[in-house]
Amino acid sequence: MIALALHALRRAIFAISIAAIFVVFVGPIAILGVTSIRPASGVFYIWRGTNFTFNNFVEVLHQSQVVEAMWNSFVLSTSATILSLGITVGSGYMLSRFGGWIQRSWFATIYIFRTVPYISWVLPLYLVNTRLGIYDTYVGLLLPHIAVHVCFFSWLMKGFFDGINPSMEYAALIDGCTRWGAFYRVALPAAMPGIAALAILCWLSTWNEFLFALILSGKRTPLITSTMAQFVTETGTEWNLMSATAVLAMMPALLVTIFGQKYVIRGLRM
Amino acid sequence: MAEVTLQDVVKKYGTFKVVHEVNLNIAAGEFVVLVGPSGCGKSTTLRMIAGLENISAGTIRIGDKVVNDVPPKDRDIAMVFQNYALYQHMTVFDNLAFGLRNRKVPETEITSAVTRATQMLGLEPLLARKPFQLSGGQQQRVALGRCIVRRPQVFLFDEPLSNLDAKLRAQMRIEIKALRERVPTTSVYVTHDQVEAMTLGDRVVVMKDGWIQQIGTPLQIYNRPANRFVASFIGAPAMNFMKVELVEELGVMSAQAEDFKVELPLEQAAVLRKHGAKMVILGIRPEHIRFGIPSDNSGSSFSGVVTVTEQLGSEQVIALNVADSTMMASRISPETEVSPHASVQMWVDAKTLQFFDDKTEMAIR
Repeated sequence: MIALALHALRRAIFAISIAAIFVVFVGPIAILGVTSIRPASGVFYIWRGTNFTFNNFVEVLHQSQVVEAMWNSFVLSTSATILSLGITVGSGYMLSRFGGWIQRSWFATIYIFRTVPYISWVLPLYLVNTRLGIYDTYVGLLLPHIAVHVCFFSWLMKGFFDGINPSMEYAALIDGCTRWGAFYRVALPAAMPGIAALAILCWLSTWNEFLFALILSGKRTPLITSTMAQFVTETGTEWNLMSATAVLAMMPALLVTIFGQKYVIRGLRM
Repeated sequence: MAEVTLQDVVKKYGTFKVVHEVNLNIAAGEFVVLVGPSGCGKSTTLRMIAGLENISAGTIRIGDKVVNDVPPKDRDIAMVFQNYALYQHMTVFDNLAFGLRNRKVPETEITSAVTRATQMLGLEPLLARKPFQLSGGQQQRVALGRCIVRRPQVFLFDEPLSNLDAKLRAQMRIEIKALRERVPTTSVYVTHDQVEAMTLGDRVVVMKDGWIQQIGTPLQIYNRPANRFVASFIGAPAMNFMKVELVEELGVMSAQAEDFKVELPLEQAAVLRKHGAKMVILGIRPEHIRFGIPSDNSGSSFSGVVTVTEQLGSEQVIALNVADSTMMASRISPETEVSPHASVQMWVDAKTLQFFDDKTEMAIR
């Protein structure tokens, strides 16, 4: 009898925990979604009333800054992903396969950068960017993103290459490849699931990044995350418009996640 | 087919020497097996022949060419790896064709070469599959195919059967032997399995701690081991060793220990007398220990206490306590009833005994 009660209690606790986790994760997104289709007057009472509208989306899409910011974020995320992966693949391969002082120094460098919270170099970066004349430009935004990605993802990439048995490359060397050929034709295709996973993570992290967008971008190259914050005005916050922009900003990330999750899972299993 | 010559080849990692002055001549078409325990330097030696490891000193020749600084791709060799090392993103056909494509061989020739190899190895139904869709045995066959398709000067095998289960290993051993007949090529085969070494090699090179211990045909290695290590490493169950005192009584030499005495033939006594040591190590192969008492004067008997019996169906292996040491006796008739703790009478033909120096452990000859 006691065993049965205990079993029921365990099941109840389990169900409540799952429901709580669900509410914590899904709740904010649901509130955001509902707010985005409520008129400005209804945003504080989103669960009451039946007044729904898509005008918020029409309005934000008519704001050139929002459209421009989405385009800029897309360009920045895509180019940061391509360039970061270009460096990260080489860096991860080097860390995995070679020894010597160059490899050790590189390892130490990225380790140090990894341990420093990147909020601590955002303000100095603002000064550097202004001094170099690249403040509020693609280059000025790209370089810090690439630096962060290289430091964070080189480790993951090293792990992917560690998981690929080097004897495959030795076989390629004997089969007529040079060292470069063995990397390009054998190790790289074998690491492809991992690289695909990193590409997705890299793209999403750039798209969602806020701190660099806030400090290092301005009116010339607005980004979607910092543009969203601009709905907080002196006269109040336009929650409906902010939510609509946030929902729009979620879409590409959602699509990338939905279509790319199998690669992420396959890659992270490597 | 080419000759392979290693002359004073050394491999060091920093100051640590892992391969010491290896000298080895492998004739064209010969199948040589490097055998030894883990860390004996056999794989490193093979990788130096392949060009996957730089050599610290010495000379390696393939044919007439010194290949010390020649990259692997230009050595005209092929290698089978322990974990198959198949290109996971390519089909079986592409795996087999990869080396030929790199050498810009016309596609029609590639197709016929691949077809020939796949027919030989029974791989035709698998050509469109990827390596992860193959069993271990099939993958190893593809790895062999990748070697023979290029018709290189030298085949190198790096423990190719150690990832397979015992049954498949025995089957693949036979296939490799059959393949040798069909595609005669100079081969260097690395293994830690003495059965593979004995069954496959024209000659066997036994290594330990980076030193070559002995080079010889399988029978030479088995019957006339150069030292105690070779004697113990080759043969299963391993050779039995016992420290004995050589005693001369009325011109007859005998090897004695507590409760153990074997009279030695004249030639053997002469060799041991010349060597001069009183205490030596006696080596007896398990199959030379017989059950019962000898029917004539050719053997010496001794008694022991049975500790364990292993019934193998075709024979029995028993472990005995003889004069404070444990001895294994094999080839005991499976029908013979032997129970643990029983005291049994055994005998050995003195001509089959081996003697090793107590200090250097070298064979006394």
